[in-house]
Amino acid sequence: MAQQLAMVIDATKCIDCKGCVAACKVANNVPEGQWRNWIKQDEGTPTPGVLPTAKTRFQPGACMHCENPTCVDACPTGATYKDKETGAVIINDALCIGCGNCIPACPYNARFRNAVKRKADKCNYCPERRAHGLLPACVDTCPTKARVFGDINDPESEAGRLFRKNKAKLVQVAAKTDTKPNMYYIGDPGLQDWAGEAVIPASMIAMKESAPFIKGIVGLSGLGVLAMLSRQLFVSSDENKENDDA
Amino acid sequence: MSDSKQKYSRRDFFKASGLIAAGAVGGPTVLGGLRKAEAAAPEVAPMESHFSACDMCFNKCGLIARSENGVVTKLDPNPKFLKSRGMLCARGNAGINQVYDPDRLKYPLLRVGERGEGKWKRISWDEALDLAASKMEEVRKKYLPCGHLFSAGTDLQSQFVGRFAEVYGSFNVTSHESLCLVSNNRAFLDTFGEVPHPDVLNSKYIIMAGANRFEALVTPDSMDLMTTMRENGCKLVTLDPRYTKTAALSDEWYPIKPGTDMVFMLALAHVIVGEKLYDAQWIEEKTYGIEQLAEHVKQYTPEFAAEECGIPAKAIARIAREIAAAAPAAMIYPGRRSSDYEDSTQIRRAFAIVNGLLGNWDRPGGLLAARAVGLKGVQYDAPWYDDNHYDRVDADKVPMMFEHEGSFLLTRDAVLADDPYEVRGWLVYKTNPMGTAPNRKKTIEMMNKMDFVTVVDIAMSDTAWYADLVLPSQSYLERADPCSGLQGSSACACVIKRDPVIDPLYESRACFDVMKGLAERMDLGEFFDFTIPEYREKQLAGLPKAEEVLDRDGVYYNPSKVYGIYEGKVYKTLSKKVELYNQRYEQMGIDPLPVYTPPTKVPANQFRLVIGRNALVTQSSTANNELLHEFVPTNTLWLNPQAAQKLNIADGDVVQVSSSVGTQELKAEVTDKIRTDTVYMLTGFNTLSTRQHLAHNNGASIADILEGDIDAITGNAALHTTFVTVTRKVA
Repeated sequence: MAQQLAMVIDATKCIDCKGCVAACKVANNVPEGQWRNWIKQDEGTPTPGVLPTAKTRFQPGACMHCENPTCVDACPTGATYKDKETGAVIINDALCIGCGNCIPACPYNARFRNAVKRKADKCNYCPERRAHGLLPACVDTCPTKARVFGDINDPESEAGRLFRKNKAKLVQVAAKTDTKPNMYYIGDPGLQDWAGEAVIPASMIAMKESAPFIKGIVGLSGLGVLAMLSRQLFVSSDENKENDDA
Repeated sequence: MSDSKQKYSRRDFFKASGLIAAGAVGGPTVLGGLRKAEAAAPEVAPMESHFSACDMCFNKCGLIARSENGVVTKLDPNPKFLKSRGMLCARGNAGINQVYDPDRLKYPLLRVGERGEGKWKRISWDEALDLAASKMEEVRKKYLPCGHLFSAGTDLQSQFVGRFAEVYGSFNVTSHESLCLVSNNRAFLDTFGEVPHPDVLNSKYIIMAGANRFEALVTPDSMDLMTTMRENGCKLVTLDPRYTKTAALSDEWYPIKPGTDMVFMLALAHVIVGEKLYDAQWIEEKTYGIEQLAEHVKQYTPEFAAEECGIPAKAIARIAREIAAAAPAAMIYPGRRSSDYEDSTQIRRAFAIVNGLLGNWDRPGGLLAARAVGLKGVQYDAPWYDDNHYDRVDADKVPMMFEHEGSFLLTRDAVLADDPYEVRGWLVYKTNPMGTAPNRKKTIEMMNKMDFVTVVDIAMSDTAWYADLVLPSQSYLERADPCSGLQGSSACACVIKRDPVIDPLYESRACFDVMKGLAERMDLGEFFDFTIPEYREKQLAGLPKAEEVLDRDGVYYNPSKVYGIYEGKVYKTLSKKVELYNQRYEQMGIDPLPVYTPPTKVPANQFRLVIGRNALVTQSSTANNELLHEFVPTNTLWLNPQAAQKLNIADGDVVQVSSSVGTQELKAEVTDKIRTDTVYMLTGFNTLSTRQHLAHNNGASIADILEGDIDAITGNAALHTTFVTVTRKVA
């Protein structure tokens, strides 16, 4: 089975310390005022005495690397795609033209236009760190180890083990557009209704239905001559078959 | 991009744009651990990894600094570091921003304007050290050695300031501790004979009063608290006038009336003793004074306590029974910062006494004794100066001050009054009393008393801002540090060290080199005639394998005994037992059992100002941290909605907060997370120093408003005794 990289999060362990958010900012050079991940707060109403059992929940989150990623549908160039091998939703910077279509297409508000790069940005599970054998920064740094990352299709991995063990009670954030997010919460993560609806430009929907290849053309035009040259260099690649995932 | 209409592949573009380095798949594992399947295979940039220990607060969490081309790019937790449970918090991650802070001190600066005017002249290190040494000589000649004060913060090199002070001949050394935790230490020391380390991980019932462990992170306690709650079903009861994150995550929270924790504890003792809910044999064998305690706490019924502290009597009685049932794996969490009231030592004695009744000393889930670490002290024979004052300048003002920590507030008063003698020189390293001690105006007066003040720091703190000479020190990632032994409760007893991760920035020098440079100029060079590695070698003389292990793992563990350390041993108290009743206090005329005095009533139309922490702020030391500033851009005044309504204050309004000593302005945060009679703000904002550009003219300085009472036993600051008026600022 192909991999599905995912996060299995025990939100009840989260103390809202923002370690994960700070670690992500540093690891990914996220510009000031922008964030790839977050902790949603539901501290309830301060009520003295025995606190209700459905008490405070802090809900760590980020891009959910969805099964049905609406951001991919909204991307006119194919820069955003769901990687076949890992199941991660990736942005190819070289292809991104910074049009911003994908931003409202994410019902979780996980995307933003990077103020420095002027391109779409979001959590990518820290590939540079993983290439060094390190965990994504947010997972590595977490004080209570609330965030667990790994291939949930691999029963040997910690994420896979937690995923299987808690399968019956795993919760996902319910957006108005069901994207089948790959971020699983063990137990009640509190706030459930914050996610919105995927807004995809009508033109993109039309494009998807009628002439999907336009995406490729738009992507190329955004890349310029150098990219065209590179394209020709590698045109014989056998990996073209992978391109139907967008 | 579907249907393969496109003629290129993403991977091709990765290749074309150089994003994939050839053969990088499954690149080298660098002191971390991911399963191969979860690893990624993009470009593998060269990355160096170095062990170090964090310095963003006092915890010293083990870390791995990642660097590229001599620049630190990321700080990661050391997964092998048990004390921190392999974590690095937001502040730890923001350490990079401290090291590369554009406002960092870069070279020695000599004041050329008035104090606090901000006019400086760049001078060379030689000039700076020559000048400082000659001024220190002058002070010593004119005012005797004790006429010079030394203050050093929590740092692995602060011991060199202490060493310098001693060989210079001054007894006057203060640390940050008398603005923080000395009353808590005093109370537990005077009950158990040593300061305990709570075994939170194995506890089944914890009452947390005057502490906020999910925001004021202490390792391993903060992480272990969550673990024991999730995995052992540990119950957490929090008493706090604020609905902190700790309160929010507790099983029970009571917004206790500030200043009444003692009566709550005495009422617990009333129930536990009255209903004989303690382990009679343990109490008989290990404690002293159960009869006196039983008699004393008769008056403190849950009903009486309820009237005082606002927690229902039934809840108090139930909590007493529950915690007694969970004992000995139960505790009143000892906490740390206890600089709150004028009887803070006695308040904390009440905490300690209930722990005594729970019989939790030296047992799983209770309070643990310090474990053997095995580091050796590095001895030296300080010269003796006959022509000197007899004692510290703050001596004999309170009965039980810690000699080696002193009392900053008593010292300040003594300096201002020239009583018992004149103090005219001050050297400060990595502590910022101007920003953190109450009544900032008095600290400014103290500065003005001085002939010469030298500040060694990484940043232009407010203390540095008022100094004569400012010397740029190195950050924790730029220097070699002595070894340090850390107590990690049941997690570990360990040794850490630091070696440089990057070359020192600008002209910064390690505190050790500064003290050595001064010593050499004052004919005291023999006391600094060593290098840090040589010093460490002496420290590690009893641990032959430690150095090697430190280099391999970044930490050395001593597998020393955790529980039962006191089996067959006597306690270091007069009675040689756990002193529920303190005999020494009796001899000294101090209440041998804590006597509850109700806190001063909050005057009409005023509020009690309380201080507290946030996981993203380390008092004034993170004031100018760019990354942390994004999370906490300013401080606000927490104000209850009912109180706000009466004062016609809306959320976000700018308010004036005035005490008898100062007025500050900041935005109101109208929130039901605080009692109606209490207000709160964070420390570290509105610096005087303009060279902390994120904190200057931003928010309010709590140091300017707090009045500065002291604990009558230790001289610890009492930071919760200030009453303030709050008014909406009229534009």
